[in-house]
Amino acid sequence: MGRTKLYLDDDIPSHSKRVWRLFAAKPQALIGLWGVVILLLLSCFGPYIAPYAAEYQDQSALLMPPSWSNQGAVSHFLGTDDLGRDIFSRLLHGAQYTFGVALLVVISALFAGVIIGSISGMMRGLKSSILGHLLDALLSIPSLLMAILVVAVTGPGLSNVFWAVGISLTPQFVRSIHQTVHDELQKEYVTAATLDGANPLQIFWYVIMPNVWDTVIIQTTLAMSAAILDIAALGFLNLGAQAPMPEWGSMIMQGLDNFLFAPWTVTIPGISILLSVLAVNLVGDGLRSALAPMRN
Amino acid sequence: MGRYLIRRLNLFLATTLALFIILFVATRWFPADLSYALSGVALPTTQQQLQIEQDYALHSNVISQFLAYVTERLSGNFGISVTSRQSVLNELAGVLPPSFELAFVAGIIALLCGIPLGMLSALSRSKMVQKTIMAATLTGYSIPVFWLGLLLSLWFGIELGLLPISGQINLLYQIPKVTGFMLFDTLLYNGDYKWNAFADVLAHIILPACTLAVLPFTVVVRITRAAMLNVMNQTYIRAAEARGLPYHTIVLKHALPNALIPLLKHLGLMLGPFASYAIVVEVIFSWPGVGAWLVSGIYQRDYTVIQAGIFAVALVIIFFSILIEVLYTAANPMSRKEMYGTN
Repeated sequence: MGRTKLYLDDDIPSHSKRVWRLFAAKPQALIGLWGVVILLLLSCFGPYIAPYAAEYQDQSALLMPPSWSNQGAVSHFLGTDDLGRDIFSRLLHGAQYTFGVALLVVISALFAGVIIGSISGMMRGLKSSILGHLLDALLSIPSLLMAILVVAVTGPGLSNVFWAVGISLTPQFVRSIHQTVHDELQKEYVTAATLDGANPLQIFWYVIMPNVWDTVIIQTTLAMSAAILDIAALGFLNLGAQAPMPEWGSMIMQGLDNFLFAPWTVTIPGISILLSVLAVNLVGDGLRSALAPMRN
Repeated sequence: MGRYLIRRLNLFLATTLALFIILFVATRWFPADLSYALSGVALPTTQQQLQIEQDYALHSNVISQFLAYVTERLSGNFGISVTSRQSVLNELAGVLPPSFELAFVAGIIALLCGIPLGMLSALSRSKMVQKTIMAATLTGYSIPVFWLGLLLSLWFGIELGLLPISGQINLLYQIPKVTGFMLFDTLLYNGDYKWNAFADVLAHIILPACTLAVLPFTVVVRITRAAMLNVMNQTYIRAAEARGLPYHTIVLKHALPNALIPLLKHLGLMLGPFASYAIVVEVIFSWPGVGAWLVSGIYQRDYTVIQAGIFAVALVIIFFSILIEVLYTAANPMSRKEMYGTN
């Protein structure tokens, strides 16, 4: 027996439902979301669907152009590089290094940033100010310089990129969360909750945090695109992922020797970096405009 | 205002101190002998070794070591470079001006193209124009800069053969270094082929500057657009319209100056990513600046170069971000309201 609707008035959509409706109204944001979902799937299952292993060298097909060219063959869909490695397979294998590692870095930086940022945002006076200035100093070291410093201490490698990018992303999270918590703390509904007898922990978690998550989400998408670009740039400079690894930035670096007569070894990994950052940015833009009317 | 300036000066000093602490700690973690990492002298004679130990107070406790470190660095002793055996300070003085030149030209390009386009996309009533500009800026924001630089140099430098793709000037020209800024040096140079040299320098700077300008350009367009849309809804714009002022006066005299204020604030926040991009661009176009110097320093594990380069770049960024913040406060009286009582 079906449920009869007792009340005729419209249901009031919840906050997340409203955000989703505004977000889904924009086709480009949905396209970006699909792109991000595909990238997520690829970074989990890419190695299983790739036709070749990442290091498999086909000696009969060195520097083969992509399949739409006359000299190309469908068996190597996006062509091969100078060692005969299939570029399409390497891209699929590399998604977990470029996109997956970027996601891990952002999640860790977010975790650290939320904790430090909310503690420093809830504090007042000198303590909060000292923390803020230390972070300003960290923030003023660009991510690439931080990476150079980390590489100088520990040597190159993908795990060190994780630390380098993480250290340079965390202050941004801390700063924006600190600022939002600080601003919310001045508002009257917080005073009302204090007068109701809420202790600082309750104020923080039940009163302030629901209003901070929006900022956190937006900051996360921004950080995500920055992290992908940083990891790729470090790979390109040979400070991050090392040579045989199919990380997209280091693929560009490895293709550089044959750039003049085999430009696809550079352009195709570049396009995949561009498309993944674009997808993340489209989602970020969509979220920002969906959240904007509610924040004001 | 005086109190505010003192607070900003304090901030500058505190941040510099924090920077020193970070570098001091990192230096102790370098996988090398401490006296070597500090001075860059690989095989010191006994006398040199004693001198280094005395300069950096290596036999005292950590606090006095740190004080000695700060004193040495502030008095200009950055040690010597392991590879070139030159004083790092002199090398630094040689590589900083080209970087400033590149960053300055890129910034000018970004502002000159970005502000009008941002205004256009805010004021235009055609959806088509708005969407095209927004799509272009989003793509520009997402593009990996090293890849863009490679494509531009392949296309304009090699396929079309229009522009040089590496270095700052053709080696045929022997221009004496006066200011270090090549654009000024060629103008100051009094010899034959002065204008040819100047044109050559201009041709060399076009590709790197355009590549570097893409990121600030997209940010400038987006911020100008948002600020302009915000300003055009204010009541004083409606008042100006009601007084019957012509449209261009309203836009240029009443709206634009107010829209530029948030832009100024965001320029300060953009310095860090901009410096990262500049390092990559310098490497790709073999620009003889501090970024390429630093990256070659890390390839050769030249620890004194790494310390000096990071110190110089971070200090420049701290200085300019505080300067921009001060300018922002000076230009925007509304922000001074919140200045007291908070941090």
